[in-house]
Amino acid sequence: MQEYVLELSGISKSFPGVKALDDVHFNLKAGEVHALLGENGAGKSTLMKIISGIYNRDSGSYRLNGLEIGELTPKKAQELGIAIIHQELNMCTDLTVAENMFLGREMHTRGVVRQTDMNRMAKAMLDKLKIDIDPRTVVKKLPVSKQQMVEIAKALSTNARILIMDEPTSALTEREITELFRIVRDLREQGCAIIYISHRLDELKEITDRVSIFRDGRYVATRDFAETTLDEIISMMVGREIKEKFPHVAVDKGRKILEVSGLSSGMVRDVSFSLYAGEIIGLAGLMGAGRTELVRAIFGADPVESGTITLDGETLSIRHPMDAIRHGIVLGPEDRKKEGLCTELSIRENIGLANLDSVCNRWGVVRSGTEKDLTQRAIRDLRIRTPSEEQTAKNLSGGNQQKVVLGKWLVREAKVVIFDEPTRGIDVASKVEIYTIMNELKAKGIGVLFVSSEMPEVMGMSDRILVMCNGRITGNLISKETTQDEILRCATQYALQ
Amino acid sequence: MKANYLKEILAIRGMGQVISVSVALAVMILVFGVINPSFFSGENTTNLLRQVVPIMIIGIGQSFVMITGGIDLSIGSVAGMSSMISATLMTTRGMDPWLASAITIVACCAVGLINGLLVSITKLPAFIATLGTMIIARGIAQLANGNMNTDGIPASANAFKSFFYYGNTLGLYNPIWIGIVLFVIFAFILGKTRTGRHTYAIGSNYEAAKLSGVNVVVAETRVYVFSAFLAGVVGLMLTAQSGMGTMNAGMMYELNAVAASVIGGVSTMGGQGLLFGTVIGAFIWGVLNNGLQFAGAPLALRNLVIGVVVIISVLIDRIARSGKLELFKKRPAQ
Repeated sequence: MQEYVLELSGISKSFPGVKALDDVHFNLKAGEVHALLGENGAGKSTLMKIISGIYNRDSGSYRLNGLEIGELTPKKAQELGIAIIHQELNMCTDLTVAENMFLGREMHTRGVVRQTDMNRMAKAMLDKLKIDIDPRTVVKKLPVSKQQMVEIAKALSTNARILIMDEPTSALTEREITELFRIVRDLREQGCAIIYISHRLDELKEITDRVSIFRDGRYVATRDFAETTLDEIISMMVGREIKEKFPHVAVDKGRKILEVSGLSSGMVRDVSFSLYAGEIIGLAGLMGAGRTELVRAIFGADPVESGTITLDGETLSIRHPMDAIRHGIVLGPEDRKKEGLCTELSIRENIGLANLDSVCNRWGVVRSGTEKDLTQRAIRDLRIRTPSEEQTAKNLSGGNQQKVVLGKWLVREAKVVIFDEPTRGIDVASKVEIYTIMNELKAKGIGVLFVSSEMPEVMGMSDRILVMCNGRITGNLISKETTQDEILRCATQYALQ
Repeated sequence: MKANYLKEILAIRGMGQVISVSVALAVMILVFGVINPSFFSGENTTNLLRQVVPIMIIGIGQSFVMITGGIDLSIGSVAGMSSMISATLMTTRGMDPWLASAITIVACCAVGLINGLLVSITKLPAFIATLGTMIIARGIAQLANGNMNTDGIPASANAFKSFFYYGNTLGLYNPIWIGIVLFVIFAFILGKTRTGRHTYAIGSNYEAAKLSGVNVVVAETRVYVFSAFLAGVVGLMLTAQSGMGTMNAGMMYELNAVAASVIGGVSTMGGQGLLFGTVIGAFIWGVLNNGLQFAGAPLALRNLVIGVVVIISVLIDRIARSGKLELFKKRPAQ
């Protein structure tokens, strides 16, 4: 038997104006977890779409179990045993687990579905993966992590031998990730080949056998994971050494800018803290700890039930984001596409939207010159890579989109800047640029509050760390003096009791 | 310099569709002109323009609503309501026509306000909210004069008739001027003002607009008031035209306005559209109706053709956007 289940060589793929893949190689063995690494725009997703038949290659050879494969469609790829778990899950959330697993290939007798049989089969499949879910549950009632497991079970029920997982951990808590990795290891034992895409390099050591690195649509190298180092991987990904991953700068703490006391909103319970000028506070905690809810309440996006928010000694009544913005509190939200950007509009219109008060004259007419200048300043200051300020936001890479979200606010005179997961899903180089922007704000005497699920980032960038658990603050730690263990202890305080 | 200016115009989002439908319109006009040269006669062009203007004005309002991602089904009924209220006030009450018009417009805007608040605050789907008010407004039109069309409006309203329909200024009939003025004002609002930006923004991404500090409730409510206001103006034109209030005035106008908007490239998903496109769309609608009638086609055939044109123009827009026709291809699994 041949060594590789999947062999790709000399694969190229172009889109109008871009060469997405250029003479790329990739091999996959049965029973391995093969991580695919690269910055955004490196060509990983294009390659995955070629493997799973969503795109067809322009040239190159695609061999599955030693056989050359011609044109491929998603359906044909599925029949050949290739399954893909997308980052955004693909399920009919109003149907049950079993209905989703058998979608499109329902078991039936003359058109009447055999629901009981399907439930039983689904249960068997879930049991095999040691996943404890009732197949009759409606999918939307499950947490994201369980939905993902259902997707995996669904993929396997189609007899998939090659499983592609695109950023599977981006929405999971530490504990859920552990559970996911157990399933991945089980699959590996059963001889499945797994292609694993992730931006979170720290988690690779848990499961990865080999890594392949891509950069700018080209193949760079493949390594046995045991024989390489994270530093080597990072430098291959970016093509240069990144010396300082977290460029922390020391700024003297200034006056107290923001004071939140006894704040409750939704699941957020009785939260109090202060933020000083020139300080970066990292808000740590597990998914669902209430961090996003807290910053949304401060920003006026969700209603505040009780408690006060004081800015520079003045108690504010914030009912709507408009109020917060007027007082100089701004928020870069968690989900770029859902909350941050009007993706159909241009960079200029997106940045203009948040600054119409300064861009419009007193009759409400947009002064296009002012707006253009403002946008160009943002593009320059934030190093947004774009042909012009008229580029539609959806055509930018993730990192550049994030910079536009931040750019909306940074051209204003803000006092407090809040970022919610500012670096999620963006590449290493863009991350460093965003860290630099945070430092620039800090140096200007602005108070920065940022939510992040990446522990090294929280520890590296912030001066102080607030840890949340179950909607409460369970830790107020000095970054330099704390450890990852201590943060995790605070973050799981209630869970452990 | 000139080339730059042209380039800038071409770069406006959605201009592609506007240009292609403009070309289609020009071709249509030529074809109808060749089939029957009297299509170009002064009488027919004026006729055509006066047919198109109401749909164009209502289309402008509908486009505003559609750009926010909504739809306003009530505006045809609001036009009918406007016609009936204004005519009843002028006849039964003997009110001064201008005062009657002002009261009528206020009443129409009130319906728009209710639509807007139902959508923006109670979060009813626009389709449902305005379906309800569509029926209600038609009911009000019927109630206004005790379920009867009104008598002819009195001679004292001649200035009113002339202003809204029969008069002409600088060689153009007044309704055409009204259409031009309203188009210029609303195109300016949509293209150049904060209000316009908010309209596009909430249609493109409501949550992002809210988090950018847009007063989303005001922005969403406002477009329904605009569209009801414009429908009210059209109602007054209808009263002036027929010299009386008719309960069925404005029937189907809301859907013709959707057709005009969609032909002109306004997206039903929100966030995209240009009023100039809507104007061209209204003209395509009008030219087809008028031209086919001239060419001797029966009403049924006209309806068939217009329906097909609506579908084709949206298809063309789709193809232009994706760069290819994906007739037999499945939608990509996303």
